[in-house]
Parts: sequence; structure tokens; C-alpha cells
Amino acid sequence: MTLQQPALPATAVATRPARRRDRARLFQEIGMLAPAVALLTIFLVVPFLLSFWTAMTNQPLVPRPTPVRFIGLTNFLRIFKDDLFWTSLWNVSRFTFWILPVQCGLAFATALLLHQKLPLRNFFRGLFFLPAITSMVVVCVIWGTLFQYPTGPFNQVIGFLSGGRIQPIDWLGDPNWAMFSIVLLSAWQAYGFQMIVYLAGLQGIPDELYDAVRIDGANAFQRFWHVTMPGLRPTHVFVLVITTIQAFKLYTQVAILTQGGPRSSTETVVHYMVRAGFEEQKLGYASAVSVILFLIVLVIALLQRQLLRRFDV
Amino acid sequence: MSDLAIPTLQTEARRERSAIGSLRLVQTACILVIALVIVSPLFMLLIASLKDDRFQILADMGSFRAFWVSNPTLSNFAEVSNLSGELAFGRYLLNSLFILGCTVGAGLIVNSMAGFVLAWGTLRGRALVLSLVIALYVIPQESIIMPLVIMVSRAGMTDTFAVQIVPWVASPLYIFLFYQFFAQLPKELFEAAEMDGASVFRIYRSIFLPLSLPALATVSILMGIESWNQYLWPILVTQTDYARPIAVAIATFFGQDSIYWDRAMAASVLMMIPILALYLAFQRWFVSSFVGSAVKG
Repeated sequence: MTLQQPALPATAVATRPARRRDRARLFQEIGMLAPAVALLTIFLVVPFLLSFWTAMTNQPLVPRPTPVRFIGLTNFLRIFKDDLFWTSLWNVSRFTFWILPVQCGLAFATALLLHQKLPLRNFFRGLFFLPAITSMVVVCVIWGTLFQYPTGPFNQVIGFLSGGRIQPIDWLGDPNWAMFSIVLLSAWQAYGFQMIVYLAGLQGIPDELYDAVRIDGANAFQRFWHVTMPGLRPTHVFVLVITTIQAFKLYTQVAILTQGGPRSSTETVVHYMVRAGFEEQKLGYASAVSVILFLIVLVIALLQRQLLRRFDV
Repeated sequence: MSDLAIPTLQTEARRERSAIGSLRLVQTACILVIALVIVSPLFMLLIASLKDDRFQILADMGSFRAFWVSNPTLSNFAEVSNLSGELAFGRYLLNSLFILGCTVGAGLIVNSMAGFVLAWGTLRGRALVLSLVIALYVIPQESIIMPLVIMVSRAGMTDTFAVQIVPWVASPLYIFLFYQFFAQLPKELFEAAEMDGASVFRIYRSIFLPLSLPALATVSILMGIESWNQYLWPILVTQTDYARPIAVAIATFFGQDSIYWDRAMAASVLMMIPILALYLAFQRWFVSSFVGSAVKG
């Protein structure tokens, strides 16, 4: 007791500045978090919540004297009755079907090659990422010339290789080819990011695993199949999911090169949305499309979580 | 490892070494072929931008002349790099640079501060904020853009620089990247500084931020690319030359009946230079730190 007696006031003195310091610290933390929280709220959360409300109104783009009316799910019903919407959904599905093997395959192949201890591999890694930093608009300028009909480079090469037997292809003007052409340039532009993700995944596989199966006498192919592939499972899931989500948001290259044509063969969900909102000025209707787009992306993202959980990562 | 395994491992290694030699050759050949396919379109762009005649550019495209220019000229660049009037790509380039600089500068500060507090703060509800931020990551820009256009036009922000900068400064992805980076730094670092009486902001500013060069480089590159390549948003919120970014301006080439490929190519090369410089400056840290951080996010 006697020993603790002088200790008490000492702690009491110590806690007061400590508490003040705690409060100062709390204020600082709030101050550091506040800008991000405020900006995210204003420019992400609010418009996101608003989009659900706007989707159920007849909100026009330019304010009109007549008040904006609540019209329930009418916009959604109209969308589901519009053939063009289903065409755009079908088109992005086709796009996804093609882009997944082309883009992810290219990314995986380049990552596997760059993971080897080859000379100049850092140089090549930098080089292979160049298309990813190229703006989609610039990509459209380049590929717009490559796709020229009938005498563009692609047609020249095909004509040369086939000895003139294959007729020139109207890459962007033929409804059968337009989407595939968009796939080619999109894959070229975007595979760099997936390549980096694959490289990260490959680096994450411990060398001991390779050594262990080598002792068991596994050859190069077996090592690839039994160590590399299982080790990359979460990476594969991640890459496939982000590529799919990107694919459903397809817009810029289509807006610049084909405007959704020819004969709606490259119409996409986002292009459909922008046209409804800004050419037809039906912002409520366009918001309804954006809500559908969000739900699609959400389902894909949830699917990823389920898959990753199954692989126990 | 058992004693028996060592000799088998050695013979195995010897047998493999000869196989590796030929494998290396195949791999190197593959890399060269892919590099050719990947880079030749960009090389063609550069070459074409140095040719004066737009019809000649198209005619050359189908042959090896696409990779060769006999009398290079900078006249295309001179034509498009005006600061005002028609073809004012000089101005659009500066607009884009200004937007990129502000977005990345503000983004680095705002997102890293938030990531730091989420990783090391004592605020109650941090875990909740973090999971909300991660949840927000799912929302695509495309699906909030319609109401956002109404909001900014009501606020009178259309056709300004601010409208192209402020909405994209804070981002769930970059907050998360910073959070992840800060969280894996050792606890002793924080505790030692705290012991010396440094405030939270001081610890962030003087100790953690200088250590986070890889994260800063990664976020700079990713944000820079994102800001530089914005297309949908600026076409919705800019109408005049005043704040028009170069991406939107280049796209207008496609609206013409006959495309001026020579000018389009020169403008495209102009557009590539700054982002290429940014990438080359930060690339060293970018590749090593992007590693792993994305996959589990």
C-alpha cells in the first residue's frame, strides 16, 4: 500500500497528456482518412445509389419543364423487350468467348517465356508491356490502318500467303468479321496486365516444389502439369475473371472504329447505354442499363470468390 | 534428402542440361517472334508519322516499306502541335498532362493517407471501412457514369479540368494497394517512432512514405495510364477545346470522311511520349511490386 501510494498520482498525471495525445491522434487519423472517404462517397457511393433511383424514373438528359416521374420497373421491362439490348448482350458474350483464349493465352505464354532465365528478359518484359500503356484511341489509329480494306497490311499478307486464293476481308465492315477484329486489337492492347499477373503467380510458386518433383523423376511437361498449373490456380481464376469483367465493359474501340455496326454486330452493353443516354437523351433508361451492367459484374465477381474459396486460397 | 537421391539428381541434371540447351533456343526464338508481332504495329506507327503523304502511308502499309522511311520529315508533327485553332494537339496534350499530373499527385496523397490509417490507425471501425472500400471496388466506372453526369452538370462543372480530375482521385483499388503495402511493413518501425513521440501524420510522412517507393511507383503508373486513357468520361463532360484531352481529340479523326492518317499518326506518337516516359521512369519498381498484390484482392 505504502509503496503504491506515491505511484497513483504519478499515473494520474501521466494519463492526462496521454489521453490528450490519444485524442490528437484520433483527430489526425480522421483527418487523413476523411479526403478519401468524402471523395468516394460523393463520386462513387452517391452516384451508385442514385443510379438505382434514376433507373426507375423517366429522367431526361436535359432538364424539361415537366417533372421527373417515378415509373417503377418500366425502364427494365422496356430494355428486356428491346431486341437491340439482347443483341448487345449476345455480342459481348461472343467477345468474351473469343477474348478469353486469345488474350489470356497470349498473356500466359509470354509470362511462361519471360519466367525462364533467358538473356535480356527484363528488356523483353518492358517491351511486352508497351501495348498496355498505349491508349485505346492510339490502338484504334494503328489497327484502323492494319484492317484497311481491301489493301491493308493484313489483307496483303493473307493474299500473299494464300497466293491470292483468299479474297480480301473487310475486317471492320463485314458483320461476320467485325467483332473478331475488335477481339484481335483488344487482346493486343490489354494482355500486358494479365502477363504481369501471371509473372507474379509464377514467382509465387516455391522452387522447392520443382526440386521435389525433379527428384521423383518428373520431366519438364510433368513439372508444368503437376506443379506450375496447380500453383497458378488462383492466378488463372483471377485473370479469367478480370478479363471477363473487362469484356463486358467493352466500349471505346467499338465506339471509335465501328459505332456498334455493321448491322449491330459490334453493339455492346455500354455502347447501348451511352447511346440511350446521350443520343436519345433517356437518362433514366440508360441508368437502368447501367444497373444491369453492375449486376452482371457483381455476379462474375461473386463467382470468383466462390471459385477461390473452393480452391482454398 | 537421402544419399541415394544425390547421384540420380546429378545424372538427371546432366541429361537435362543438353535438353535445356535446345529448349533455350526454342524459347528464345519464340520470344523474338512474339516481340516482333507485339512491337511491329508500334514501330509502324512511328515510321508512318514521319511520312508526309497520307495516301503513301496507306500504300506503304502492306509492304516492307511500312518499316522504312526514306526521307523522314517532322512536318506532320509541326502540323498538329498547335496550341490553338484547328489541330491544336499541342494544347490537348498539355490538357491531358495537366489532368494526369493533378489526378496522380492528389491520388497518391489521398489514397496513401487512407491506406496508412486503415493499416496502422487506432480508429474504431477501420475493419468496416476497409471491407466497404473493397466492396466498392466491384462497381465499374461505366455503371455510375449516368447519374454522375447529372450531378456534375447540376454543379456547373461541365467542360472544366476539375470534372476530369476530382471524381477519379480517390479509388478503392489504390487505397487497397497502399493498405496492403503499409500493412506488411514491420510493426517495430511504427512503435519506435511512436515511442519518440512522433504523431501519426509524422510517422506516415517521414517514415512510411519514404519507404513506399514501390507502391508509389505502381500506383503512379496504374493511375497515370488510367487517367491518360480516359475516353468515355471526357466525351460526356467536355464540349469545347478548353479542357479537351488528347484522347478525345484523336478520336475525332475517325469522324471524317477521309481520315488524315499522317496527322492521326503524328498525334498518336505525341500521345505516346509522356506515358512512355512515365512508364520508363517507374518501371523498375512497378514490375516487382505489382507482384502478388493483385491476385488475392
